[in-house]
Amino acid sequence: MKKFFALLLALAMVLSLAACGGSDAPAAEAPKADAPAAEAPKADAPAAAPAAYKDELNVAITANPPTLDVHFSNSNIVGGIGSHIYEPLFAMNQENVPTPVLAESYEVSEDGTVYTIKIRQGVKFHNGQELTADDVVPSMENWLVKSSKATPIAGTTFAKVDDYTITATLPEAYSGALDIMAGNVQFAAIYPKSALDAAGEAGITEFVGTGPYKLAEWKQDQFIHLTKFEEYQQPAGESSGFTGHKEAATPDIYFRVVTDETTRVAGVQTGEYDITEGISLEQYEALTTDPSLTLYTKTGGTLNLFFNTTKGIMAKEEMRDAIMACLNCDDIMMASYINPGLYSLNQGWMNPASATWGSQNSEHYNQNDPAKAKELLAAAGYAGEKILLVTTPDYPAMYNATLVVHAQLVAAGINAEVEQYDFATFMEHRANPDQFSLYITSNSYNILPVTLSVLNPGWAGLDAAEVPAGIAAIKAAATTEEAAAEWQALEEFLYDYGAASVLGHYSDVSATAAGVEGFNYFNFPIYWNVKVPA
Amino acid sequence: MVSYILKRFLSLIPTLFVVSLVVFLVVFLIPGGPATAILGMEATAEELAALNAELGFDRPFLEQYASWLGGVFQGDWGQSYFLDMSVLEAIGEYFGPTLSLAIYAELVSLILAIPMGIIAAYKRGSLVDTAAVSVSLVGIALPGFLLSMFLMLLFSVKLKWLPVAGYRELSEGFGQFIRYLTLPALSLGLVQAAYITRMTRSSMLDVLYMNYIRTVRAKGQKEGIVVLVYGLKNAAPTILTVIGQSFGSLITGTIVTESIFNIPGLGSLTMSAINRRDVFVIQGVVLFVTLLYVVVNLVVDLLYGVVDPRIQLGRND
Repeated sequence: MKKFFALLLALAMVLSLAACGGSDAPAAEAPKADAPAAEAPKADAPAAAPAAYKDELNVAITANPPTLDVHFSNSNIVGGIGSHIYEPLFAMNQENVPTPVLAESYEVSEDGTVYTIKIRQGVKFHNGQELTADDVVPSMENWLVKSSKATPIAGTTFAKVDDYTITATLPEAYSGALDIMAGNVQFAAIYPKSALDAAGEAGITEFVGTGPYKLAEWKQDQFIHLTKFEEYQQPAGESSGFTGHKEAATPDIYFRVVTDETTRVAGVQTGEYDITEGISLEQYEALTTDPSLTLYTKTGGTLNLFFNTTKGIMAKEEMRDAIMACLNCDDIMMASYINPGLYSLNQGWMNPASATWGSQNSEHYNQNDPAKAKELLAAAGYAGEKILLVTTPDYPAMYNATLVVHAQLVAAGINAEVEQYDFATFMEHRANPDQFSLYITSNSYNILPVTLSVLNPGWAGLDAAEVPAGIAAIKAAATTEEAAAEWQALEEFLYDYGAASVLGHYSDVSATAAGVEGFNYFNFPIYWNVKVPA
Repeated sequence: MVSYILKRFLSLIPTLFVVSLVVFLVVFLIPGGPATAILGMEATAEELAALNAELGFDRPFLEQYASWLGGVFQGDWGQSYFLDMSVLEAIGEYFGPTLSLAIYAELVSLILAIPMGIIAAYKRGSLVDTAAVSVSLVGIALPGFLLSMFLMLLFSVKLKWLPVAGYRELSEGFGQFIRYLTLPALSLGLVQAAYITRMTRSSMLDVLYMNYIRTVRAKGQKEGIVVLVYGLKNAAPTILTVIGQSFGSLITGTIVTESIFNIPGLGSLTMSAINRRDVFVIQGVVLFVTLLYVVVNLVVDLLYGVVDPRIQLGRND
């Protein structure tokens, strides 16, 4: 029998050896040995020695991006990573003002329809080719067709004037054209013509841009490795949002795909990852007291309820008004975002902080009036028809909000039912008015109201003539103030008509390990200028 | 023997055909296509429909299935919509981590379970036996994900001995490779150990009280030889069956563990392919796993003959 115990002892030793394979090394990956920046300061080094930084930044992301073609996908992960690889002609600075990036300057014709854009000279793509108008024109044409965010300037034609000059000719004058071209979601990245020529059905497959980082390796479902682009040509100006100086302060960035929330958080706590996106809201409160972490919150968008406005009982405006009267938005947002510090109540579809597009609450929003709902139900001739709420547990905030809305509708006497599906099936259902009465989604902020999904008839089937008329009025406005007034009128119509309702505004949470420098959580997390002490 | 193996492989063909048909049908009937994953949350119905059509997802079921099946016969299992590689390449790439994890977990479970099962049976009714039975019961009842979380909390977050998650290739160094695989292997191996311990104990109990064991003892053999040579050898076919099943389930059932520990194996690939409706990858992985399971069982059957010469496979008389 002694042999058995000897065997067990051997096992314990093997496991201990495996467990202690790195002896007392930290769980985080050690910086490369040959990298001078990662060298530990010597004990007798002078006190004024420059701080040493890691040469590798590990960022935990929530999912593997479906593509790295930013024209094609409106996924935040695609845009977030893509903004490090590609650059547009114009982008938003920290104040959300369109600012030249690959463009050097631009002029607008007197009638406001022709933009003549000068392109910076000497800018190189990651494949060594120089950026010219021959790349810019097909890129902008591709973006115009592929990006849903380009819809407001549909019909624009792009033409080469010379190697470093192009024109963009709009079908009609639109003061927001530059904002559209500088938008950050599905942004107007400039690709080399060769990448566009080789593109397939699902977009480009050669992920080459002019950004401060180039793609080194994409190991599917594991990591995306970006490395410093040594020939990067800095845009003019100080670093601000997506514009100005972009220093690849950490030479290598690994975006590691970590789908499990607990693993992401544990990874930052142990130093395995330097930064994690998508912090679990349930854990937010507990993590605020963790000295090993720095938390960043950023108002990111709106949680919205969309009605079927075309089929069955939901086609009656009184029915939709009755449901709006039931809503207690505070309860809904609390169930979805858990901490009152992570949401705010405002009926506006745009960022409330925007002086131009922000809104004040009206009587339509957050009514919490079941008695009024019952009156409106009677007026609608409601006879207990099933009201179908479709949702997906893949997005907990959307799912929790749907359950609370369901409870509020049932309390008002509505025969409401929840159907839950995985994300892909949910998307299929919400695209078909025969398969939903209402659904809830969270949507990132838009730079301009004309690009909001709620105004797109393909989103929830809203086909009221007032919507395209309102969009046209915003686009035709001579001044920003006029455009803002037109938007306020259109937003009020959306509530009057019962097309949809904002439920509240949410914040995204990210965490970095304590000591991470230069992190900017703008519209996407920005990792150029980020340094991590070794 | 060779004809027996050939027969086993031939009988696999209808199984694979039925499995492929059913899986293809299920994926076809589930709403949604890869366009949802590619285009993202704010894609409109028109954009989704257009891309799905471009990818060939609007074709009738039989046409899609026939087209895929025709490719399989020519060695083309299809192309992933997301991975920028063929299905066979994807399986080749993702199988390595799963196989490494399964082998490591199986080793952990065997090293723990076989001695524990033998000791428990030998000391039947003792404190050791009771402890072994109780611990293995807890192991069987404990959900794998809970054990994973517990191990992660203890060894990574608190003690900082092992990395939280991730995977390193063997080419990056054996030490790193083992460090990253240890927690998931423990998480899987401990659960398997519980099961194998119980089965080892049970099959050893069956043989340790047989007359021939009593005879061997009466002849004065040492206890170690009685238990390990005469006892274990006769209990081996049952234990072998359990090990085969355990290894099969380790290869095919690691979805949760791979997700928690972020291991890019077949489990993760299956999960993401289902979510992304990457239909050819789903098909390929299911067929591959079916094939693998059959091969594992076949190997176990062949090993019966090695451990017990009385078993001669393929002989009718």
